[in-house]
Amino acid sequence: MRGFEPYKVVSALGAIVLLAACGGSSSSSAGLGSGPLLVGVLAPFSGADASFGPRYLAGCIAASLSINGAGGIGGRKVSCQQFDTRGEPADAVPAANQMISSNSNLMGVVGCTSDEASTVVPILDRSHIPMFCMTGQSEFNKTSFKYFHRLVPPDSFDAYAMIGSSLYGPNHAPYKRVALVFGDDIGSQTFVGPAVAALTKLGVTIAINQAIHLGASSYRTEVASMLLTHPDVILTETIGSAGTYLKEVKQQNGGKVIPFIGTSATIDPVWFQQVRDAIGLPDFLANYSAVDLRLTLSGSGYDEFVTQLTAAQATDPGALQYKGKSPTTHLYDGIIMTALAMVAANSSDPTVYNPKIFDIANGVAGATVVSTFKEGVDALKAGKSIRYVGAAGENNFNQYNNSQQGYNLVTMDKDSNEVTIGQLTQTQTQQIIDAGGNA
Amino acid sequence: MELYVAALGFGLVSVSVIAIAAVGFTMQFGITNMINLAYGEVMIVCAYAAFYVNRAGVNIWVAMIAGALAGAVLSFLLNRFLYAPFQRKGTNLIGMVIVSLAASLMIANVLLAIVGYYSASYVADQGPLVRSNGLVLTTAQIAIIVVAVILMLAIHGLLRYTRLGKAMRATAANPTLARNCGIPTQRVIDVVWLITGALCGVAGVVAGMNSENFTVSSGAGYLIEIIAAAVLGGAGQPYGAMIGALIIGMVTELSAAAIAPEYKEVVAFGILVLVMVLRPQGLLAKRGALAAAG
Repeated sequence: MRGFEPYKVVSALGAIVLLAACGGSSSSSAGLGSGPLLVGVLAPFSGADASFGPRYLAGCIAASLSINGAGGIGGRKVSCQQFDTRGEPADAVPAANQMISSNSNLMGVVGCTSDEASTVVPILDRSHIPMFCMTGQSEFNKTSFKYFHRLVPPDSFDAYAMIGSSLYGPNHAPYKRVALVFGDDIGSQTFVGPAVAALTKLGVTIAINQAIHLGASSYRTEVASMLLTHPDVILTETIGSAGTYLKEVKQQNGGKVIPFIGTSATIDPVWFQQVRDAIGLPDFLANYSAVDLRLTLSGSGYDEFVTQLTAAQATDPGALQYKGKSPTTHLYDGIIMTALAMVAANSSDPTVYNPKIFDIANGVAGATVVSTFKEGVDALKAGKSIRYVGAAGENNFNQYNNSQQGYNLVTMDKDSNEVTIGQLTQTQTQQIIDAGGNA
Repeated sequence: MELYVAALGFGLVSVSVIAIAAVGFTMQFGITNMINLAYGEVMIVCAYAAFYVNRAGVNIWVAMIAGALAGAVLSFLLNRFLYAPFQRKGTNLIGMVIVSLAASLMIANVLLAIVGYYSASYVADQGPLVRSNGLVLTTAQIAIIVVAVILMLAIHGLLRYTRLGKAMRATAANPTLARNCGIPTQRVIDVVWLITGALCGVAGVVAGMNSENFTVSSGAGYLIEIIAAAVLGGAGQPYGAMIGALIIGMVTELSAAAIAPEYKEVVAFGILVLVMVLRPQGLLAKRGALAAAG
């Protein structure tokens, strides 16, 4: 038997330590590491959708201030950097690749709008980078990308919410005969399939399903056809043509307007003005309602968000204008949840902390509800499990990392301000989504 | 059946709006050899001119005169200061189409800067609903039909029974010969732009009334139906444009009732393609005589 040789053991331990150190400071599988961390804002900052990027960046800066103000992620400070996709897939791919290759300290990515999500999500997923995307594309409803997260529902879910409004909305009995009147453009037709599926499953009669040609000079025959089916309510998105259509409804229906429920796209001052001028303000106020994402916009999580957004104005002068806006609020929450997941996992390795994002959002049994990064860190240090209910309220990821928080039922007042008139609970919304087959 | 009769009535309104516009458009081409793609935008400028007069408290039927004047003046200026100089330099027909397209974009963008994205609606009482044997029309819509009939008769009278009309037809048939015969062709062309511009203006206002509201971008939509009616009837043929308007207007409404709204333009333009295959010169024009009016 050979004798014990201490110098060999010391050498071996030294080699292990050295190898571990060579593994990179930001991706150690255990421990939070050191050095600054980066959140990439991968979004259009130029081109037709140039307005998207700044609102995401504002949310990121606010989140980084909140995190850094609480001591950072294990002492590591977070910063934000914009990567311009120009809203074009062809420009988004090199932007994503450049972002990944030149930043080994990337803790997450926000942005990835419908303009570029299809091309950049696979790249980010392959690189194991958690992302919070602002895309409404249905292709991500049942996605296999593990690092993909979405805090807003797919666009088509507006259809389910409209059905919810017709069934559970305030000030009326459940509508039994529904007319679907949507533009013949791809965007508007997105709602029709899910609506037909859900209405059929729920036993609601589809009085008529019309695809009208947007921009036509009149819809008199279409309106006459629709009126012959005697619907109780019209579900609609006919951007640019709603005034013409609804005026003709009023004319042919003996001066009476049929109640109409619009998508979230109709909550718009230009749309309001067109329809109001066509049918008159009293008829508009009496018959219009719409659906919108449910944002809490109150509580300590929202207060912290607004405080940090105000502070963000020092580096981003326009930041505060995004107060109360869904993308800014949701992406702020996404970054805070990612940061808390890192702390909870005690790791800066995304393969380790990515699954924790789900737990932080949905919570586990007995989890302590926290509303800010600081509250979350304190609770985690105290050995508690946490659930983050942030600036936008509760998050509820499904198995595909899609979260939906229910919808507000809204209308507009005489000055085109959005007014909440009711809510769809998560259960109600989910019931209709299930009926529609989550198409 | 009730729906088809109603659609027939609605079709008459559509026919009226298209006919007023298409006759002006096709006369511009027939007499001045100019395919004016800015026509739809000029319509919208006129619709806005009438809108501001209407908003100042003037009845829309009176404000229509302001629209007609705006159309006459704008079309005259457009020809004098843009189209005519290019034509004098010998720019070919395709080149002139591009020039008119540029004019269309310029007008649309200047107008957008002035009036903004918001839609405009006239303050106009549509009057009571008139129901007769399945037809359902407002009195304002009946008035639009009457205006169209009066204008079509006026154009017929102008072309057939006046010296100016004869001079127009002569200029259209052979401008050089007409000039050699002592017809002041330049003045005739100026008058043509004024008259067709006025028609364009009236068309813009009735289209705005018909749609209940309009925006800067509405012009492009109007232009498609106008060109379709003009080409179907025979480019340069005012009577052809009337027939083209009748077919396009009626087919769109009846197919919306018979098939589905999303196919109404498919059917209408399918018929246009069919006619073009069987009779490329259009319904009324003689082969090779596209520029001849009347």
